[in-house]
Amino acid sequence: MLKAYMVLSIILFSIGVVGLVSRRNIIVMYMSVELLLNAVNLSLIAISADLADSSAQVISLVIIAIAASEAALFMSLFVVLFRNRASLDANLFDMLGSKK
Amino acid sequence: MENEIIFTILALVAIVSSIVMISAHRPIDSALSFIVTLVSIAALFALVNATFLFVVQIIIYAGAILSLILFIIMFLNIKDANLPDEKHKNKWLMGTSLIVAPFSYILIDLIMRSDIAVNGIAAENFGTIKDVGLTLFSKWILPFELVSILLLVALVGSVTLSKKED
Repeated sequence: MLKAYMVLSIILFSIGVVGLVSRRNIIVMYMSVELLLNAVNLSLIAISADLADSSAQVISLVIIAIAASEAALFMSLFVVLFRNRASLDANLFDMLGSKK
Repeated sequence: MENEIIFTILALVAIVSSIVMISAHRPIDSALSFIVTLVSIAALFALVNATFLFVVQIIIYAGAILSLILFIIMFLNIKDANLPDEKHKNKWLMGTSLIVAPFSYILIDLIMRSDIAVNGIAAENFGTIKDVGLTLFSKWILPFELVSILLLVALVGSVTLSKKED
């Protein structure tokens, strides 16, 4: 069962990497990052169930909290970028060095 | 035996809906299919008796984070003109999966060869709120406090970022 969970976690992680690299829509890129975190959580939970140790569950709780704070920051970034450029294209967001 | 069948169904649902998530053109479609992925991952948590993490995954991920994404997508009122025109999206997806596939094949092969099934005997209350909470507040108290500071900083930062400057 542990091996099946690890294999599923690797497959989901690879799908997340593919989505993160090959898409240009920033909302899809953000959700791919969340998929990466979820794949890691899945393997952590499987390991904790296999070792009968709940430390790994605490680590995945911490990861979920980090994902929540990341979500808040990403949402405000979406709002700011969409207000300035009226687009979701990641290639257009290069205004970090410019004075607008 | 039952567990294997349930696992196979849930894994197929998770993989198919995440592939739909990365290949859908409109962001609302990918958000809705990502909810399916998250719920099936939560059910996979429940399959190995991690009941507290099951509840947390449903409430925080599928409840809070995804509804935040859906709210933002609806608030921004995204038209087709606002989306990037990804003409070669399918070529990009195929090419990247061709590059990523060997690495994941190596990892899967490594997992299948290794001898990692330990199968400790789980206690009666394994994975419950009491068990996880006791571990969290005894061994992991410093990371817990750091995460609370991180959440505060992220919330203050997101409020300052999205404030209109005039």
